[in-house]
Amino acid sequence: MIYVIDHEDSFTYNLVHLLEGFAPTYVSNYYDINWRQLEKSEIIIFSPGPGNPSNYLETQKVYKNYKGKKKIIGICLGFQQILYAENAKIVPQKKIYHGYQSKVKALKVSSLFKPNKVFLTGRYHSLKLKEPFNSSSLKISMRCVESNVAMAIEDTINNVYGFQFHPDSFLTVDGKFLIQKVLQF
Amino acid sequence: MLNNKEYLNKIFQSNKPLIIYKTIGGYDVYTDFKEKITLNSKNFKNFLNKKTLQSKSPIKELNCYVGFFGFQLLCENIKIKIPKQQSLNFYPGLVYKPQTIIKIRKNIVIKSLLKNFRQLQTSKYENKYFYQKKFNLNLDESKYSNLFKHFSKKIKLGETYQIKICQTYSNKSNIDAVNFFWKLMSINESPESFLIRDKDYSIISCSPETLIEKKKDVIITKPIAGTLNRTKKMTKKFANNFFKKNEKESKEHNMIVDMERNDLSRICNTGTVKINKLKTVEQYRDLYHYVTEIKGKLKKHITNHDIISAMMPGGSVIGCPKINTIKLLNGREKLNRNIYTGSFGYINANGDMRFNIIIRSILNYKKRAEISAASGVVIDSKPKREYKENYIKAKSLLDLFKT
Repeated sequence: MIYVIDHEDSFTYNLVHLLEGFAPTYVSNYYDINWRQLEKSEIIIFSPGPGNPSNYLETQKVYKNYKGKKKIIGICLGFQQILYAENAKIVPQKKIYHGYQSKVKALKVSSLFKPNKVFLTGRYHSLKLKEPFNSSSLKISMRCVESNVAMAIEDTINNVYGFQFHPDSFLTVDGKFLIQKVLQF
Repeated sequence: MLNNKEYLNKIFQSNKPLIIYKTIGGYDVYTDFKEKITLNSKNFKNFLNKKTLQSKSPIKELNCYVGFFGFQLLCENIKIKIPKQQSLNFYPGLVYKPQTIIKIRKNIVIKSLLKNFRQLQTSKYENKYFYQKKFNLNLDESKYSNLFKHFSKKIKLGETYQIKICQTYSNKSNIDAVNFFWKLMSINESPESFLIRDKDYSIISCSPETLIEKKKDVIITKPIAGTLNRTKKMTKKFANNFFKKNEKESKEHNMIVDMERNDLSRICNTGTVKINKLKTVEQYRDLYHYVTEIKGKLKKHITNHDIISAMMPGGSVIGCPKINTIKLLNGREKLNRNIYTGSFGYINANGDMRFNIIIRSILNYKKRAEISAASGVVIDSKPKREYKENYIKAKSLLDLFKT
């Protein structure tokens, strides 16, 4: 069972449909988290959503509670939420990507994707990870070809993953493959 | 005895309540209303799920309720409260049960449940029509720019990705709605045009946007995002190129496509939500629109209320993401939107429905005519351009008051 925390985004259900292709998926609103259901789920997904990770303290609580115990995957805001929980700074970026299709490249450190493999992805984010960012376990595994902004993270020790772009967007060419990889790794 | 055409003209000239809805190849006129229900957030769900199913009649076209849902009602339906605003106290929503349908096609066909429907009771009604040419605008360019800057900051902070600022033109008028409607149709016949004329108000609209087209378990939505002012020399091909090359319009559109895919995915079976036609150009008198068609297959046990709650208010006229963007708008909009960005359409007893998004509309109520228009603020928008776009969108309606 996959549990999706919906941060009231208008893209969450695109992601849900993608996930349902692989496993039964339970969705709850951020304001209505079902902890019992969460406990029963194997994978927890932090959905995209508006605003800053600091606006969503419950999600921070979920992360701290289940990090290392269950697989956690963050998309867009969810990606930033994971980083924020790992003491990263999430900051506004000069060029804003809403409805953009960008090339994103897998890095050598990636355990999920072939190094240098390029994906066409849809992006909806105002904020980004402030770098340099250092973590003992969390690695930046993809970057935007054009701007070099961090686009994916992997922590294979704690089983934590994230995409800054939207695998659920129609602008992402291999969305299904990307999600499958991360779900089945 | 009057023939069909004469009878129709007599109805138009009377003050009889009626509804006209554009359909493929013509118009449907609904009248002889047996029932009229004022909708509010308390009875809305019950109406959608129960009441509509009870409307059996021997004429299948009359197995329906026709009417509109105002913006506030649709927000309240998804549990978003609108703060106190300047308001006309107009109906939150109204639906009518017709007993006569007049189909205007090549010929005029009348179907009625009433035997003596032709005996039109026209009380000698003195129509005191008048209208002004000038309009007041609730947000002038400097107020608009301030609001624009405010929302641009919100975009930079990621609180919204796209937000539509609404402007309202109003004046003192009591229009001959049917006359205005046909004038409008002669210059701008849009696929979702409609008119409602009742004793105390009228609405006319040349909406181009279909929000819900549901037949059996198939649902289609056709969001519009992207507008180009049309000049005389311009061709559709030019418009197509413009949209393709224009990064801003293209990104704005992408966002709306993903949002509408999302809204359909809430009520459709996994894997059935598909883009039918991506980014086509539709041509209108004063403008071109960029349109996408998305289709899905509804889950079993999905109710009319589930569908309407997932799809309305239509995202393309609000911005994205829907909930937070409505909240941001509500914090700043001083004037009630009334019908604007609500929905008009019908629900059949068998569950089929068709609804538009109410834009390009005139609401005439309490001797006040109002026209609203909105355009999107995205990160690359310029306030001057968007301000002008609102005017272009309202223009063909404002022009009706000039002749």
